Amino acid sequence: MATLRDIKRKIGSINSTQTITRTMKMVSASKLRRAQEDLEKVKDYALKIEELTGRVIQNMPDDTHPLLAAREEIKKVLVVAIASDRGLCGAFNLNIGLHTENFIRENKALYERIGIYTFGRKVNDYLQRRKYDVVKSFVDVKKVDKEIVDIIAGHIIQFYTSGEFDKIYLVYTCFRSPIKQEIVFEEFIPIRRTEESEEDYIDYICEPERSKIVESLIPKYVSTKIYYALVESQTCEHAARMSAMENATSNCGEMVRFLTLVYNKRRQEGITNEMMDIVGGAEALRGT
Amino acid sequence: MLDLEIITPEKVLVKEQVDIVEAKGAYGEFGILPGHTQFLTTVEVGEIRYMKDGATNYIATSGGYAEVVDDKVTILLDEAELAEEIDVEKAKREMEEAEKALKALAFDEIQYKLMEMALFKAIMKIEVASKRHL
Repeated sequence: MATLRDIKRKIGSINSTQTITRTMKMVSASKLRRAQEDLEKVKDYALKIEELTGRVIQNMPDDTHPLLAAREEIKKVLVVAIASDRGLCGAFNLNIGLHTENFIRENKALYERIGIYTFGRKVNDYLQRRKYDVVKSFVDVKKVDKEIVDIIAGHIIQFYTSGEFDKIYLVYTCFRSPIKQEIVFEEFIPIRRTEESEEDYIDYICEPERSKIVESLIPKYVSTKIYYALVESQTCEHAARMSAMENATSNCGEMVRFLTLVYNKRRQEGITNEMMDIVGGAEALRGT
Repeated sequence: MLDLEIITPEKVLVKEQVDIVEAKGAYGEFGILPGHTQFLTTVEVGEIRYMKDGATNYIATSGGYAEVVDDKVTILLDEAELAEEIDVEKAKREMEEAEKALKALAFDEIQYKLMEMALFKAIMKIEVASKRHL
């Protein structure tokens, strides 16, 4: 049975935990704000590049660029799972892990091989522990910048063009609002062209030739997309951590309230007992 | 009038109605006036000019893509700076560094091309900055 002192100690420890979670929440909030700014900056560019690429590659024959050509037989697919290095952010990493896992479980029969490319320590650990085919992983990323993006884009393009994989999916968390994040699971490579292309096909005058533009635009599209996904994911991480820490803080408060109640009751009980002892003692003395 | 939008990964640099846009494309300089046909081009390292109410504005860029559809000009650039915002001191430093690096490198190294590009960008920036409105 917990003594008074034990309870008091516990309250103290919960209080200091609360201080930590509250600080972490505040740190995440300010990081989130910064990440949101970054996201806003890159969003326009990423969307425009995507639109432009979509328009330009319409009606382009498959052989213009290796990343446009869809393979007839799809045997090996790669899932690029993007999450984060650090935990304490609720189900953020777990969701990506679970999503990837579900996809593998559902499609295991369809494909010969399902490889995974992980970004972030947590999701990497999760999938490796479950013995999935992690082809490559990126952990301990300090800052998302152009270099990292170029390396990843290089890997992905290499994976596809070398024939190691026939289709590449991207799974990451998309930021809607600080309290709402969505998991996005999309086909990435081969780059899909819209079907009803006849009407909105634009017959550009191109300098240099259209095929040349496509050639240079596609790598740009790939790296922009990855960069965008990474920034989105980072923003979500901070948002997720912020709400996780907020929950933790309020849970701590609740626990302290409960424990204080127990502590007071126990103390009262002790006092009552002592008084009864004294009264009992006095009664006994009077009897003699 | 043309709807001009110049976007970089950093920010939306320009979004306004302008009279004319000029830049350097794959086959040399091009100018866009209202009523231009659908046009798609790469944008090379250099300057972009656009005129609005008789005043010309200059932008230094490291390259990207330009698209013209129905009097809407969308220019997507890797890096770009308005002439007014260029840090000339920094550009000069970049230029010196690139020059120094170029001297140390052999002509056929991959790095050489990159540094040459960096030097060119820095020179372009300084040149564009000199045209700013004071």
